[in-house]
Amino acid sequence: MRVILSNIVAIYRKELQGYFASPLAYAIAGIFWLLSGFFFVIALQDTLQTAAAADQIGQPFDAAYALIQAFLGLMGVLSLFILPILSMGLYAEERKRGTLELLATSPVTNWVVSLGKLLGVLTFFITLVLPLLVYEAITLSAANPPVNPTLLLTGFGGLILMAAAVLSLGMFLSSLTESSILAAVLTFALVLFLWSIQAIATGIGGPVGEAIGHLSLLKHYGDLVRGVVNTSGLILFVSYIILGLFLTAQSIEALRFQRS
Amino acid sequence: MKQIPTTWKSFKQSWQWLFWAGPVLVVIGLSAGAVSGNWGAVPVGLTIAGIVLIGVWLVLQSQPGSGFWGRRSTQASTNALLSTLAVVVILGLINFLGVRYANQIDLTENQLYTLAPQSQAILRRLPQPVKVWVFMDPNSPNPNSGPTQALLDQYKRQSRQFNFELVDPQAQPGLAQSFGIQDVGDVYLEAGQKRQFLQNLKSERLVEGRLTNAIEQITSDRQAKIYFLQGHGESPLEGSQGGLAQAKALLQEKNFVSEPLNLVEQLTVPEDAAAVVVAGPKQALFDKEVRELNAYLQQGGSVLLMIDPNVDPKLDSLLKNWGVTLDNRLAINASAQQTVEFGPAAPVVNQYGDHPITKDFGNRYSIYPIARPIQMTPIPGVQETPLLVTSPESWAESEPKNQNLEFNPGSDRQGPLMLGVALSKTAQPTTPTQPSPSPSPVASPSASPIASPSPSPSPSPTTSEADKKPSEARLVVVGNSRFATDGLFGQQLNGDVFLNSVSWLSKRDDQVLSIRPKEDKNRRITMTAQQANLVGWLSLAILPLLGFGAAGVMWWQRR
Repeated sequence: MRVILSNIVAIYRKELQGYFASPLAYAIAGIFWLLSGFFFVIALQDTLQTAAAADQIGQPFDAAYALIQAFLGLMGVLSLFILPILSMGLYAEERKRGTLELLATSPVTNWVVSLGKLLGVLTFFITLVLPLLVYEAITLSAANPPVNPTLLLTGFGGLILMAAAVLSLGMFLSSLTESSILAAVLTFALVLFLWSIQAIATGIGGPVGEAIGHLSLLKHYGDLVRGVVNTSGLILFVSYIILGLFLTAQSIEALRFQRS
Repeated sequence: MKQIPTTWKSFKQSWQWLFWAGPVLVVIGLSAGAVSGNWGAVPVGLTIAGIVLIGVWLVLQSQPGSGFWGRRSTQASTNALLSTLAVVVILGLINFLGVRYANQIDLTENQLYTLAPQSQAILRRLPQPVKVWVFMDPNSPNPNSGPTQALLDQYKRQSRQFNFELVDPQAQPGLAQSFGIQDVGDVYLEAGQKRQFLQNLKSERLVEGRLTNAIEQITSDRQAKIYFLQGHGESPLEGSQGGLAQAKALLQEKNFVSEPLNLVEQLTVPEDAAAVVVAGPKQALFDKEVRELNAYLQQGGSVLLMIDPNVDPKLDSLLKNWGVTLDNRLAINASAQQTVEFGPAAPVVNQYGDHPITKDFGNRYSIYPIARPIQMTPIPGVQETPLLVTSPESWAESEPKNQNLEFNPGSDRQGPLMLGVALSKTAQPTTPTQPSPSPSPVASPSASPIASPSPSPSPSPTTSEADKKPSEARLVVVGNSRFATDGLFGQQLNGDVFLNSVSWLSKRDDQVLSIRPKEDKNRRITMTAQQANLVGWLSLAILPLLGFGAAGVMWWQRR
């Protein structure tokens, strides 16, 4: 058990070093922060305008709640573009450099490798997201009456959970191909599919449509952003993560025999 | 000896090609099922046939020795395939259970996404499946569509008996027609054989209070009873000349039971009456009947009076309490609006009062052949709303027998005339049965055998509930009864005038359970200039520059 854990940690540290020593990762972070800052300002202005309109009709309006929802909604869309870029190189790079054989034949089990890699890339994503909380917190501290931070944290938790699911599936797709661009495109297509699946589900209708609709990332992310924690949504996210990890391990396992 | 292996080989080779039919059949079957939405014999048969073909192919491949199964990689990939399948199935099952036994925590401050305890209680003990039909394109841009769906989702999560479906009326015109929908956005409630119109989503979203109350109504087995007074030449409930068969049928559809009432044989108005209708008596009512109706109204009852001209129903003592006077003249409508069919003696109304009965009417028409106007004198405590108002060109004619109808300022009254009025006042709880202390003990045994067969357990909680809150006496007076009779009932808005009046009188649409709509907490963000500056700089400049700067430094170092 301790060996497994130390293996995971070793892989994790190696991955992290890769990210934090790479100019590309910082460039991605810069773009991400620029875009999210831009989105935040838009969401804030929008909310203040709606609040002013609500004042005129005398309707109650929760500006803080609306801001969190609008911003996290935009962040979800932004993540859709950024996550495939993060996951694309996880295995495709190894394959390209020829280090994948080393990984596949190393005494470290495949799922330990994939878990370590997933944790690494997820940590990187969290570092991308955490600074956003700073200006979000400054803004919400100006809310009157004061805001309970639970909602904001639940929303960010949902974002990270969804990111983990996408990254896990993206990692699997990355393990299938040598080209990281192809991996990114495939992941992007998959994520797009999982986002829009709800529209397909409503088209089909009935119990089949319902079952398909349950696979939607958007629906469960939306729930968490609204402040509704649904166990079935959490289970679905965790299922995606496990499925991605398992399939990655399987695909590396298959590699052994394909080459032999 | 050599012949057999060759045929076997060629047979196997042909199977190689047949194998491809397997997946093709599976795909065809699944798509057919998905498209038609009907998993009948054909799609299921195709899918099974495809699976069997694949299975046969696998078995043939597993012939010992050479071939596909002999390879080690095949074994490994079979293992991988099987374990992958197993993991997918396990995850699927876990998710299935997760959805089945889902739990939800609402972290919003005002519990925006949690149903009120009343709604939860009603949903928990739903005796039969209830379905809400929303006739609207699911992808329509209606702003009320999203919140309505979210609300219905919450209901669905509470009870497996509850279901809802969005139907595009253009895509399924047959279904839409069977509900008789009039407009896109109509919402219907269905339970068993009963269907009930709920509202239209055009102007307002579905709210919890209304939906819960409607569910409570449609699933409760007690039906509101509407009594039609008989014995003085009133319109009969059967389908005959001047009958009310159409009205009765539509009342039935709205979950009302129509029954004749004979106040001469029966001592009082039955306790389970939701409303009493007096539809066009030709002779005067007995004093005792008027007294009973009066007593019934005083206890918070509801009466619909439809009185034609040239009849004196002797209801003055009752009407006096409400400030209503029946004008003996005839309403004449000689304006351009008059209908060719009925002539000037059939006023056409397209102005309606602001009242629950007429609120959706707009300026559509309803027709009242041979009607008498009504005059009002305000009485303190009585709320009156004119319902049906004729055009200003109409007048009340005192000599309708006259050949050429014209307005005589001396005896006639210039319009607009009021043909219908809705009145309400709080019932006096101090005199619940004062005028009839003697009949009440007699009445209960006589009334109970009628009421006992089925609804006897249910009315008792109703009355006790009604006793708790101050009840309201309601009266609708219309100076015409023909508008609701067969033939005219279906014309223009006539039927709606009648049905809405009965519906309002029965108090069924009043919210039984008061469920307050969920409201956002009122909260503003008021940033100081400093804070706003800080946020602006952080979000648009400092953080992005940090990222790009670090990238630049790294890149420089790598070089």
